[in-house]
Amino acid sequence: MFGLFGLSYEFRWSVLWVDPHLTWLLNGLSTTLRLAAISWIIAVLLGIIFGAMRTVSFRPAHAIATVYVEFFRNVPLLVWLFFWYFGAPEVFPEFLKQWFIRHGIEFWSGVAAISIYHGSRLAEVIRSGIQAIPKTQLEAGLSSGLSVIETYRLILIPVALRLIVPPATNESLNLLKNTSLAMTIGVAELTFAARQIETYTAKAVEALTAAALIYLVLCLTISMIMNKIERKYAIPGLIARGTGAEH
Amino acid sequence: MIEFRGVNKWFGSLHVLKDINLAIKQREVVVVCGPSGSGKSTLIRCINRLERIQNGEIIVDGISLSGKKTDITKLRAEVGMVFQQFNLYPHKTALENIILAPIWVRKQSRAKALKIGKDLMAKVGIPDKLDSYPAQLSGGQQQRVAIARALAMQPKIMLFDEPTSALDPEMINEVLDVMTNLAREGMTMIVITHEMGFAHRVSTRIIFMDEGQILEDESPELFFTQPKNERTRFFLSKILTH
Repeated sequence: MFGLFGLSYEFRWSVLWVDPHLTWLLNGLSTTLRLAAISWIIAVLLGIIFGAMRTVSFRPAHAIATVYVEFFRNVPLLVWLFFWYFGAPEVFPEFLKQWFIRHGIEFWSGVAAISIYHGSRLAEVIRSGIQAIPKTQLEAGLSSGLSVIETYRLILIPVALRLIVPPATNESLNLLKNTSLAMTIGVAELTFAARQIETYTAKAVEALTAAALIYLVLCLTISMIMNKIERKYAIPGLIARGTGAEH
Repeated sequence: MIEFRGVNKWFGSLHVLKDINLAIKQREVVVVCGPSGSGKSTLIRCINRLERIQNGEIIVDGISLSGKKTDITKLRAEVGMVFQQFNLYPHKTALENIILAPIWVRKQSRAKALKIGKDLMAKVGIPDKLDSYPAQLSGGQQQRVAIARALAMQPKIMLFDEPTSALDPEMINEVLDVMTNLAREGMTMIVITHEMGFAHRVSTRIIFMDEGQILEDESPELFFTQPKNERTRFFLSKILTH
């Protein structure tokens, strides 16, 4: 009867929790989390450093940061993955190349591509946060005897980070989802595992649904955590954060 | 303490300071007034090099600001500054605002900085607001915290850039009172203000600026009774009528 409408697909969800499929999925999840976490930390650091450099009046620093941002954000991530996997190791010094090969060159090429690409995008978010702070805050810091770097570290960046939580959340979710592209260079992350199950069982709907749901749960969890962070570090009295501001 | 020698400054083609010569001694309280755009704010912002000059020389506490080897952050630590818009750090409590520079610049211990900070909060009359964040304080309270923050560095000179201009009228006096006490204690102060009552009572000298020049530099008595310059008389007639 269903065959008449071309619906001959037979669901078999059990493929997901028989081994080795479950192990593949769990290992994929673990790789995705590691890849995302390491890349995120590096991306945030790059974003803070280059985002801050984009706002200083010292021209060479500004120029270097601008080149970084424009160069890395304007080339597709997929191209960067191929570049860091197929291209870059060839020009690395031999010892570095050997280190990469021994420690999983696919994974570390993925980290390099994702962190540098998303670092350039986060730099813009952080720049906008710093530029939203009145210039007089910098002057207040400088006039008290703090150096420019100390003023950035103690005042401008901590305030900017509080202002940019919503766009930074967005960017963090993109980073997590973009780790799926690393399967193209052979990183056995979550999407890779789903495709592998599909290849072995021909159960594409089940395998990809599982991957989709896991991504969904991960992203919702990150959103919730970032929301908590936003509330915890909200500057008292300055901005009402959706906690029933008076109308 | 502070000396301007033939100082000129331009913003692009705008000549904002024209051949300024000025010497301010220790313990002097100098009020600077003049219409907006007259260069008075630029004048005091040059003293801690928030603005750079194009020619001439400024000497603060015996050190030339334009010297190649001048350590500007060290000099800024000796010059406190209070701004029109308070400029407290919004993510830090009043007390944290005060102890930041003493800990980072003066390398004070946290305990010592906290003690000095609490004493200063008492001195400016708000000992109960230590843990309030700037946005939870009134304008007058914020400005008093800003003064305490500057004083925590034990500066040799205090600069005030229109400290009461952003305040509601009923809060102006609480800030002026703190400044008056400071002057009585012998602090060297340069104050941009249009509070002529304060200028009359507290200052040792009043400078009137217009179009980048110092037109009048007098004791308060002479400034109010016998201003030399036509422009000064016109300005006084405008601001003293109400």
